[in-house]
Amino acid sequence: MEKPRWPPGDLVIWIFILAELLAFGIFFAAYAFTRANHVELFNTYQLTLDRNAALINTVALITSSYFVVRAVASIRQDDSRRCFHWLLAALAMGTLFLLVKSAEYHHHFSQGINLSTNTFYMFYLSLTFFHFLHVILGMVILLAVALKARRGCYSAAEHTGVETGASYWHMVDLVWMILFPLVYVMR
Amino acid sequence: MNEPRFLLRPCTWVYLTLLLLTFITWFVGVNHLSGRFFAFLVFGFALLKGQLIGDHFMGLRWVAGPWRWAIFIWLVLVGTLVTAAFWRTL
Repeated sequence: MEKPRWPPGDLVIWIFILAELLAFGIFFAAYAFTRANHVELFNTYQLTLDRNAALINTVALITSSYFVVRAVASIRQDDSRRCFHWLLAALAMGTLFLLVKSAEYHHHFSQGINLSTNTFYMFYLSLTFFHFLHVILGMVILLAVALKARRGCYSAAEHTGVETGASYWHMVDLVWMILFPLVYVMR
Repeated sequence: MNEPRFLLRPCTWVYLTLLLLTFITWFVGVNHLSGRFFAFLVFGFALLKGQLIGDHFMGLRWVAGPWRWAIFIWLVLVGTLVTAAFWRTL
């Protein structure tokens, strides 16, 4: 069977995904090159980050992405009810991510840490919060897709909406795969 | 013919691989293992995880033409820039 020339979902979301990846790529490069000029500072304050929380968040995003894959597979088999349930499970994992990340922010803010504390925290807070906002947007999209799936609006023949939401959610997951070692681990 | 039910789906294998690479990365981080080897080991894992997500979760493995390489090119660019920045400091 000949491969399609276009990725799954609406092409517009893929243009948006490329724009988002460009923005995150610039952010990652800026972090890495700024760190090169402040190695001691970055290595010192990186130790204050909670790697266990980062592990839970990484597992949560990977698991939610896996659930979304299963949701897409379900709708391709014309099972919108199962698709809805997988999407709900993915949303639960997304909620776990938001709760753990919020707890991390609360811990930092209660210690008086903010964007002005130093260059490391400026990058850490802005980079992770930029991603945090993308998780929220991704969850809003997944929720809208889940509700439409529940109403039976998708089928094996027409499920572009599910694939579109899934593609965006996987992008959010993909970006975190780079962010996690870059900010929390590499030293 | 249906596949035997005890076989894991390909996407489940990818999921388990992503989890394994994540736990190794966490182990490196929580034990404060530093230096060029460990830094580029976990970063290499991150790039591999990105490619697995692009190929298997986003479905680009089954796409022909330029879109097939969209995530790969992004990973190469980010990988090159981050490696260049970290190389001289480790």
